[in-house]
Amino acid sequence: MLAQPNPQAVPQNDNWAPYLAPLDRAQVAHLTRRAGFGCSNAELDELSGKTAPEVLDFVSQPNSPQLDAVTKRLASAALAAGSVDNLAASWVYLLLNSPNQLSEKATLFWHGHFATSAEKVTDAGMLWQQNALMRQNALGTFAPLVQAIAKDPAMLIYLDSESNRKAHPNENFARELVELFCMGEGNYSEKDVQELARCFTGWEIRNRRFRKNRYQQDTGNKNVLGSSGKYDGEQAIDVVLKHPAVGNFLARKLIRFYVSEASLLEPESPAVQSLAEHIRKSNLNVGSAVRQILTSQQFFSSESVYQKIRSPAELAIGFARSLNITTNTQAISLDMRNVGQGLFRPPNVKGWDGGRAWINSSTLLGRSNMLHRIIHDDKTRFDGESTISDYLAKRKLDSVTEISEHFATCFIAVPLSPSRIKQVISAAEISDSSVRTSIKENQLRHLLHSLASLPETQIC
Amino acid sequence: MIVSRRKLITNGLAASAVGASCIGIDSIVPQSFAFAPPTNDAARASDRILVVIQLSGGNDGLNTLVPVKDDRYYAARPELAIAKHSTLSVGHELHLHPSLRPLETLFENGLMSVVQNTGYENPNRSHFESMDIWHTCRRKTSRRQSGWLGRLLTSRAESGGDVPGLHIGGEQQPLALKSRTLALPSVTSLEDFSLKSRQADQLGELLKSPATQSNSELLDFIQDNTSTAMVASERVADAAGSTNKHEYPDNALSKKLQSVARLIESGLTTSVYYLSLDGFDTHAKQPAAHSALLNSWASSLASFVKDLELQGNAQRVCVMTFSEFGRRVKENASSGTDHGAAAPMFLTGHGLSAPVHGGPPNLEDLVDGDLKHEFDFRQVYAGIIRDWLGAEPKSVVGSFEPLQLFT
Repeated sequence: MLAQPNPQAVPQNDNWAPYLAPLDRAQVAHLTRRAGFGCSNAELDELSGKTAPEVLDFVSQPNSPQLDAVTKRLASAALAAGSVDNLAASWVYLLLNSPNQLSEKATLFWHGHFATSAEKVTDAGMLWQQNALMRQNALGTFAPLVQAIAKDPAMLIYLDSESNRKAHPNENFARELVELFCMGEGNYSEKDVQELARCFTGWEIRNRRFRKNRYQQDTGNKNVLGSSGKYDGEQAIDVVLKHPAVGNFLARKLIRFYVSEASLLEPESPAVQSLAEHIRKSNLNVGSAVRQILTSQQFFSSESVYQKIRSPAELAIGFARSLNITTNTQAISLDMRNVGQGLFRPPNVKGWDGGRAWINSSTLLGRSNMLHRIIHDDKTRFDGESTISDYLAKRKLDSVTEISEHFATCFIAVPLSPSRIKQVISAAEISDSSVRTSIKENQLRHLLHSLASLPETQIC
Repeated sequence: MIVSRRKLITNGLAASAVGASCIGIDSIVPQSFAFAPPTNDAARASDRILVVIQLSGGNDGLNTLVPVKDDRYYAARPELAIAKHSTLSVGHELHLHPSLRPLETLFENGLMSVVQNTGYENPNRSHFESMDIWHTCRRKTSRRQSGWLGRLLTSRAESGGDVPGLHIGGEQQPLALKSRTLALPSVTSLEDFSLKSRQADQLGELLKSPATQSNSELLDFIQDNTSTAMVASERVADAAGSTNKHEYPDNALSKKLQSVARLIESGLTTSVYYLSLDGFDTHAKQPAAHSALLNSWASSLASFVKDLELQGNAQRVCVMTFSEFGRRVKENASSGTDHGAAAPMFLTGHGLSAPVHGGPPNLEDLVDGDLKHEFDFRQVYAGIIRDWLGAEPKSVVGSFEPLQLFT
């Protein structure tokens, strides 16, 4: 059975008021795709009828000790080899297998927010340490995360701020703190940047660790965003975080990441304004904001459902999770890099723009090729089976139409019409009346790849 | 089989057959891209090509063209200043960074032109905001849904068969190329620009055909781009068969320029190519990094020009190089420079009117420690649009007096 389109009406008063009704199958799929990287068909069956907070509980269960042990082993091997590529593969392993999908998705959000790239920070250990820092603070309040990031060796090296002397303060970290991390361009002056830079003088990285060099610290008075004092770096961050623009800035970024890239994002829109107000009132508690977003009427409305373009991670990891695929994690992380989302390699300090910026001719060809590689990789197992034919036999799926509909409901969010399904089957040169036992394995894989390459697959 | 469009015309083949081999433009695009056979005049504006090279991160103009006569430069940069004796003098009071040696011949042959001190009023020192201003010609306060090249190419769209603009590179597509109606391709590498499937042809056909009854703007956007990708990949696969006629140095920008040269050689009627070279944000340890970047730029540019000359296409191609801002006059304490304002732009090609426009930077009259601009960058865009591409600049960049950049 194909999922039916089910977006709810757009809420009229409070956009982020809770959505209380039990979720149907398509709504559960929507929520798990946005909160994490989707789930399997069997899990969808199990979760249908539950409420949004209940589904969120399901996708935020702690990792098993075994999973933590395997991840640690993979990461240690990567670090021993100094290989950022293998480190990225270790994270892919976690994205694929962690039951704490909410946390992993949020960690990826922060990786894009506090973007730091191996193109410049070649010390894999520092990158992994930063990754752990983000995971730890992924769903907490904003202030401790910013304070920690400001002293994070990988970040400071990435921003050329490993030394910062009194005589000529380096403006880079100060500028990105207000422009890209906390407030957004247009909410501060050039003078603020220069004064902020003075607050961070004496902050440096020596022997791979943060330290304060009091001889290089400018202890004079500074004027930052309209208040003044003999601020050091920590106090300067506190001053920045008190600014009302921080709430709006976080609200827009969270909506863009979790909900939609479209109209909702106008800075003056009620959706942004009211979420910003919630965030400010909660002392910048991002974790509660994420939960509020994902359980809101707005989230289940037509302004949110099918209104997002899948990131490469959402596409690759989501595809694999939806079919219970286990595969070559190294290859997945390289593929993701090819189509614009290399883990530990964001394009610049602004991170990934996301949305329509994911899409161009090369990335569309690359996305299709990425899924082709997963489908044809020798290491790929489909729910433990080495052939798709066996995977389908286990599920007692026989007719080519049933098979296509099954695949479509697994990983395509937008409902496909019967005629669209027919079009795909006929383009694959398979007869409408074929049954599984008469279709060659290669044809089944081609059918799967065709569905995976459709424009509809790029949306979630 | 590789057949250039001009070869097809001389062979007298039917226009429709030629149209079928064109890149990227079919029913998905609202404008009509009806095939119009060009005349034999190779210098016609409609045959001309603009290649834009973006130096991302903010290129240090003062250490690119060194103001060797200005003591204030040496005072502001005790560590980073380039000594006069190591600069390369190319006449016209221009002293190049020593890594720009490959440009010497270009200057000698009149193939280089500098526009000094370009920028804009009230400069923004955020990379992203400033880049957006250069890309859209608009400030943040107005709506910015299209880039200057996107608008230009939309207005010229009916003149050719192939896609009018191409972005070469793996990074996300620059805003400069965006428009409301044209979906332009980005090509990372000619060789990888194809579907990897044993049934690629069947799949390509399927993906070209629109999704049924879409009432989603987002899905339409993806469908447009998918169709463009499928048609473009067929055409680029052909172009991938042509080869470069000159050696290039081994660097990332060279690879992109090699691709552009091959696409031009294959007869594509694309009129704008866009590429970028990243890494110019030299807040720390600037000397080695900046030197390597300038050398990458200069050496690949020189090879590209020679390649085009051997092809016989050099007369048709103008290269424009820019960066989102220059850097602070005074160096910082990390052997680097912070974000600045005005900086030089560069044009490369035939038919340039003068080796240099404007005077050396004025280091006496600074704003917040940064250079003031003498020319608005939109004057440069307007000059290129009007005199190189033969289009009307005002609707693209606004009311800016075009600079007379070409003879």
